[in-house]
Amino acid sequence: MKKFTLKQLPTDHLHLVQPQHLKIDYKGELNPAQYEAVTSVDGPHLIIAGAGTGKTRTIVFRVSYLIELGVKPSSVLLLTFTRKAAFEMMRRASILLDSRCEQISGGTFHSFANGILRKYAGQLGYDANFTILDQTDAEDVINLIRTRMKFDTKERRFPRKEALYDLYSRCLNTLTPLKELLALDYPNYLEQEADIQAVHTAYVQYKKQHNLMDYDDLLVNMVLLLKQNEPVRAVLSDKYKYIMVDEYQDTNKVQAEVVKLLAFKHRNIMVVGDDAQCIYSFRGSTIRNIMEFPQEFADCKIVKLEENFRSTQPILNLANEILKRSV
Amino acid sequence: MYYKELYTHKSGGSLPQLVSAENENMQSRYVVQKVLALREEGVPLKEMAILFRSSFLSFDLEIELTKANIPFMKFGGFKFIETAHVKDMVAYLRVLENPRDVVSWNRILLLIDGVGPRTAEKVIDDILKKRVRGAEPDGLVGEGAGSSTDLSRYWMQFNDYSDNVQKLFDVLKHVAKPSVAPAEKTYQILQYYEPMLKTRYDDHQKRRKDLEMFQNITERYQDVGSLLTDLALEPPNESIVDVESPGPEDEYLTLSTIHSAKGLEWHSVFVIYALEGRFPTMRSVGSDEEVEEERRLMYVACTRAKENLIITYPMNIYDRESGMILTKPSRFIQGIGEHLLEPWVVE
Repeated sequence: MKKFTLKQLPTDHLHLVQPQHLKIDYKGELNPAQYEAVTSVDGPHLIIAGAGTGKTRTIVFRVSYLIELGVKPSSVLLLTFTRKAAFEMMRRASILLDSRCEQISGGTFHSFANGILRKYAGQLGYDANFTILDQTDAEDVINLIRTRMKFDTKERRFPRKEALYDLYSRCLNTLTPLKELLALDYPNYLEQEADIQAVHTAYVQYKKQHNLMDYDDLLVNMVLLLKQNEPVRAVLSDKYKYIMVDEYQDTNKVQAEVVKLLAFKHRNIMVVGDDAQCIYSFRGSTIRNIMEFPQEFADCKIVKLEENFRSTQPILNLANEILKRSV
Repeated sequence: MYYKELYTHKSGGSLPQLVSAENENMQSRYVVQKVLALREEGVPLKEMAILFRSSFLSFDLEIELTKANIPFMKFGGFKFIETAHVKDMVAYLRVLENPRDVVSWNRILLLIDGVGPRTAEKVIDDILKKRVRGAEPDGLVGEGAGSSTDLSRYWMQFNDYSDNVQKLFDVLKHVAKPSVAPAEKTYQILQYYEPMLKTRYDDHQKRRKDLEMFQNITERYQDVGSLLTDLALEPPNESIVDVESPGPEDEYLTLSTIHSAKGLEWHSVFVIYALEGRFPTMRSVGSDEEVEEERRLMYVACTRAKENLIITYPMNIYDRESGMILTKPSRFIQGIGEHLLEPWVVE
């Protein structure tokens, strides 16, 4: 039988749209660095956006640009740290271009994970109506287990619920073994490592048994789902073809993992952030994500936004000086 | 770090100031007087912010602001959703949604007069057992054993408890019906909860305002599931208990931790307590990594200002924890040339 081989469309066929056919004058509206960021489409990108340099504006214009190129709105995924931020960007993009920009997939890491997990809860042994525990709820559950296992009446001092929650959470978020964290922050509990581990195991079981997830579980289970379940990973990677992450300097290791797994098919990933504004390490975020992005994605393009639209030059001079004095 | 140098095409602007005050209270009074002076110059209170490293650093200032009748809002303290009374309300809704949520059952049972941990455990045990036994009674159950819709059936069988516990079940039974909207559920539960609020908290009137706010939030939702998800993932920020009411003028000064100020901007920004031991904090100075994070915090604080940036520190602070007297300005601004940072002293 003769074969007719269909030509593969070039992956960057979107670029065939001529600038004069675009509704928005991107070049005129943006400064050169912003324009470069906005019009970078395929492949990995790192946008270093200094304070007050129009980061939001840049993301808004890029959403609009992608839609103008013909990208399906639902295949654009915009991950932010607050839902308000995502909505605001989507709203502004839709005012700029049209209402298609409101149909992109936008939200926080946790809400995105929540949506996916409600759909695939069964795959992980959960019901779709699982309850999300906030930090104090999670601490209460840990305390319950701690008491049940009689660690409240032992001879030796055992960590309190707050310390246990902190330990478990940081183990997950920083992907550090318990022993290492104990040695670092709670050396006097090092001997009880096995017991602390046992409480954790019971905590994990308890949550599953009662259909509960704490904040960390949302992300960790998301990673688990993506890792274990190849078909689901492929479906999601096909669905979200253009991924953008705001405030990348505040992501933790698990979040970086989510992004990497989601982008595995296409590697169309743009992270935006400012390493100089990384201030959430106590929540497990790590400056390493943004610093090591170019190693993780060797062919990534870096664009720096340095023109500030907020402050006077004397204020910027002082801010620059404060950073320069870093050891 | 990625090297970058911020610049602007805006021209002019005055030098940032570094203001030292003899003690904490002088620092507070300086800030109050400077805020009032800026306001007279035409800068609205809403365009000014006082930023600090840790929430407790503004206590003295708050007293001085109140004396001077300057309304303010403080950000970065307790979150609305973390307050006990709001958590109570959320717990009622949670058991409706996920009947296996033992944590919430425990919470709402313990609120009942005469119910201690033992009774609570017994009741919870009953609930869980009954659910298992009656998983498919007569085909009326919608989505199987795990769904919440079938829960109310089991409460109906509970009638051997004390009146107080029975009352809880009656309320839940009533509001569990899918036809009852989230706002109505909340309203009914509030009626039930209110007497407990009054007996439990002296400041129940302030807390009542939080619950009104909670009631307002529920109006926007069609189903309890998405309401709970949003509350867990995107909680509304501030509790009324924690915020000084701005009054009818709608004019207020912002007090905020630097963490909560991220991404925001004001015409004039004060960074108070730029003092070694406070900023950077005592506990961070042992680790280079942590000191660097504190430095980035200072950078974030400074880059919030559009026109005026004033950094202040008290020169004489006793630190109870370490027993030391803190006297040195923060290492992040110590020794910066006068061409970048203009030194001032409060007399």
